Amino acid sequence: MVDPADLQAKLEAISAGYAAKLPEKLAQIEQAWEQLPTDYLNEEEFQNLYRMVHSLTGSGKTFGFALLSDVARDLEGYLKQIAQAKAAPDEKQRIHIQVLLSELHQVTLRGDTDQHGRIAVVQPANNAVSLVPGDESTAFRYLCPAGSNRIFVVEDEPALAELLEAQLSYYGYEVSVFGTLADFRLAMKSKPDVVVLMDVTFPKSPHGGIEAMKEIQRGRANPVPVIFLTAQGELVTRLEAARAGGIAYLSKPVSIDSLVDKLDALTSPLPSAPYRILIVDDSEALTTYYAAVLEHAGMTVKTVNNPLEVMAPLLEFTPDLILLDIYMPGCNGMELAQIIRQLDVFVGIPIVFLSAEGNLDKQLFAMGLGADDFLTKPIEPQHLVSSVSSRVRRSLKLRSFMVRDSLTGMLNHTAIKDQLDREVAQTKRRVMPLSFAMVDIDYFKRVNDTYGHPAGDRVIKSLARLLKQRLRETDMVGRYGGEEFAVILSNTDGATAVKVLDAIREDFSRLRYLAEGKEFSATFSCGVADVSHFGESTKLCDAADKALYKVKHAGRNQVLLADAPAVSGADFS
Amino acid sequence: MADKLIRILYVEDEPDIQTVARLALETLGGFTVEICSSGSEALDRAPAFDPQLILLDVMMPGMDGPTTLGKLRELPQFALTPAIFMTAKVQPGEVAGYKEIGAVDVIPKPFDPMTLSGQVQAIWERCHG
Repeated sequence: MVDPADLQAKLEAISAGYAAKLPEKLAQIEQAWEQLPTDYLNEEEFQNLYRMVHSLTGSGKTFGFALLSDVARDLEGYLKQIAQAKAAPDEKQRIHIQVLLSELHQVTLRGDTDQHGRIAVVQPANNAVSLVPGDESTAFRYLCPAGSNRIFVVEDEPALAELLEAQLSYYGYEVSVFGTLADFRLAMKSKPDVVVLMDVTFPKSPHGGIEAMKEIQRGRANPVPVIFLTAQGELVTRLEAARAGGIAYLSKPVSIDSLVDKLDALTSPLPSAPYRILIVDDSEALTTYYAAVLEHAGMTVKTVNNPLEVMAPLLEFTPDLILLDIYMPGCNGMELAQIIRQLDVFVGIPIVFLSAEGNLDKQLFAMGLGADDFLTKPIEPQHLVSSVSSRVRRSLKLRSFMVRDSLTGMLNHTAIKDQLDREVAQTKRRVMPLSFAMVDIDYFKRVNDTYGHPAGDRVIKSLARLLKQRLRETDMVGRYGGEEFAVILSNTDGATAVKVLDAIREDFSRLRYLAEGKEFSATFSCGVADVSHFGESTKLCDAADKALYKVKHAGRNQVLLADAPAVSGADFS
Repeated sequence: MADKLIRILYVEDEPDIQTVARLALETLGGFTVEICSSGSEALDRAPAFDPQLILLDVMMPGMDGPTTLGKLRELPQFALTPAIFMTAKVQPGEVAGYKEIGAVDVIPKPFDPMTLSGQVQAIWERCHG
């Protein structure tokens, strides 16, 4: 039988090996592409190129490169159409292929940024669940008590129980502590939606925690997610824990940040808004049908039956993807695609053509005009849903590479500044309060030097997490620099912003980290500026920055509101 | 009650996939797996290994998956051995085509190493249900 942690380590090693070979594989693909003759189709060489791309399609996701599989699948499909047309690709097609090749590069460099789901999920081996292939979130959902924030801690050592309760509540979890297995069993009778943190060893019962969980899982259709805590690391114990539905196994002393990482992965399914799809087709019956299919899959759909009326809904609805019929009266789909692509905001939007067109030349021509895919009617509902969602997912992800910070998943410097410009402009129009805060971790260099960079990264991640959890959804947080964060608090005046951030500051200072067997904590300083005093975004930024600077010189670990600028002499005259 | 599935012959040309599949099927699934890197290697080694189930990649240089299965089927010993194709191109029409040439099912690539053995086991149980 198998130790889940060991298996995970092996899988990660294999994936790392695969990742290391990717650049070479890509180079080979590019070389094969560049060496193709441009004036005729060399079928043998083309087939060779096709096979190399096909191999990426079939392997990427297995090794944690789901996006690579997606992009390679698109390229493969495109190459296949060209091969069937038996003519060398023309210039437009060549450009399209180049674009896909450079996308391949991007996704190879980045891998999948959100892999923690895979890592946290170790299923009991004798209870393998057959999952729907192609849906990487299924494994996740199976264990997920939809967004439950409740944690049952079952721990007989009062000191550890207290520590867990306090630390987890700083992260916004609702914690109940049970000192005995009997109390816990009683509480589980009502089948609450919780994640269980279970000690393995109890007085007079070395594996009491595991046995209790096995008993509880037996009566359940969906296993209760449970994380085991233990001082024992033997394989047999770990195996038994996995069989009792354990999804993670942490050794004592417990590292709070890896625990919170696992809990976050389990309890907060990605807060993704539904995909927005615009369908343009002159047949009302068809648009209604497609809309129903996509809505059933959880997407938000808007339909347009007259292609000449597409502009207003396009700008208002701001879709993530456009489904376009090829043949329409007044303005055909290809013309429409060209027009849409000419608008700056829609340069990158995926456009998928729908048509009964089986003619390859026409399809390829459409691709040249900026279509990303071509679905032939009649199209199966499942196929429609999967092509559309994989397109949208990819395009959103590629976009997020450009605006998100890779360590924390927050908006990066440029993106948060852009956002601030927009918010400030909006605030002025609507006359609403707004505050901007700069947050900087104190003595961060010392943390890195003393405890190492991985520990430093954990501190940054835990501050990012705390900010995200404690601020409202309408607030924006960005990673501004190394250990510096920027926060936009909409509809909040300076005094309130200071209160909110000060509470976060206090909780942050109470978090404890573990590195090389030593415990430490960190603090941050924060400068806040209120838009009503500073008007435009650059001044607002400057003021928050200056307030932060003042705090740093006044002993750190504080939140300070920037003074309103002194009224200048000119105003008196 | 069906026999317990133990011996699986896996024909796959890519070394990376071979490694991860071995881990998934042997370590995680507890099966005994014989991996062949080409169709002709599979034809050489299948008789001695005597697999209960055959997994085949569809697209391989030289002899592809369907051709390999055809040749294996010519050996009386493997006339009825359940076979599963592994492929990255699964379209509804295609699956039917693979089933016509004697596959019991198709597992889409890229597969999830954590669930591969579960999928294989489920197909096995269905064939012997």
